[in-house]
Amino acid sequence: MDINKLIKQSLVLLLVCVISAGLLSGVYLITKDKIDNNAQIAYKQAMEDVLPEKGKAVTCEAQGYSAPIQLLVGVGENGKVVGIKVLSQRETPGLGANITDLKFLKQFIGKSAKDSIEAKQDIDAITGATISTKAVCKAVRKALGKE
Amino acid sequence: MSLWQDFNAGIVKENPVLRIMIGLCPVLAVSTNAINALGMSLAVAFVLIGSNLVVAAIRKIIPDQIRIPIFIIIISTFVTVCDYIMQAYFPALYTSLGVFVPLIVVNCIILGRAEAFAYKNPVLNSVLDGVGMSLGFTLALVSIGMIREFLGMGAVFGHQLINPAATALLMILPPGAFLTIGFLMAGLNKLENKVQ
Repeated sequence: MDINKLIKQSLVLLLVCVISAGLLSGVYLITKDKIDNNAQIAYKQAMEDVLPEKGKAVTCEAQGYSAPIQLLVGVGENGKVVGIKVLSQRETPGLGANITDLKFLKQFIGKSAKDSIEAKQDIDAITGATISTKAVCKAVRKALGKE
Repeated sequence: MSLWQDFNAGIVKENPVLRIMIGLCPVLAVSTNAINALGMSLAVAFVLIGSNLVVAAIRKIIPDQIRIPIFIIIISTFVTVCDYIMQAYFPALYTSLGVFVPLIVVNCIILGRAEAFAYKNPVLNSVLDGVGMSLGFTLALVSIGMIREFLGMGAVFGHQLINPAATALLMILPPGAFLTIGFLMAGLNKLENKVQ
């Protein structure tokens, strides 16, 4: 290949990359504060939801049906669950995804390391989503230090 | 080709989803409800129109042998800009679209239009082509989203219309996407045969 052609091609590619990088840094700087702020608001909101009283909030996860299920569990000073929230999940819509239902999650409130926290024992499983239910139970047990 | 034809082509005649059948991956994945479908369409429209504009504007200085890497840099720049803006100003939508925003980079519609149209045509035609293709993509994606949301959850744009117990869950699972696209394509073909 002609050496001049090679140099020209490299220069054009370099130029496009430089312009692109410059543009992206600009957009990054403009949106950075707002994005950090959003993340903080979301985190604060989640903390308030799971921890209305003193205690600690624990993030924990367990393998669900299609991807890990991530939970934020608020544990009160007496070692009981005071709040629970699903941070991320990719369960089947309409079946496993129902683990985000408040009615389902409420079952965990008040549980402590003394309870078995096992699907079909002290936790009612979601119809058609035993694996997802078990995963949430497992994650809560982890949060309470049982596993 | 006239400007009007360039604009018009993407809407029905060369509809990217139902006719050319490209960019199906995000179509299948995010069309579980109408709002996600609309959000995805707007993001794709932004990237497609932007990349068509830039590619057409600098097409004469792009050396032929390295045009694909240059297209990809231009497209990924627009996608990243879009990603940041969504995170900053539409965090809820960003959460529900998830990984599919960064994946717009590899949406075949965008690279396809850069290569097949914008690289060979003036700026104005290319922008109109981008607008037309985006409209076609939006129409297809939002129709699929509405049909799946209604049949699968009994709602349209999040408004509950019928009892969710009476719906077919299958429609919001992956097979529902294939079924809906198939029926829409068949309907469009039937309609076109009738017109001819």
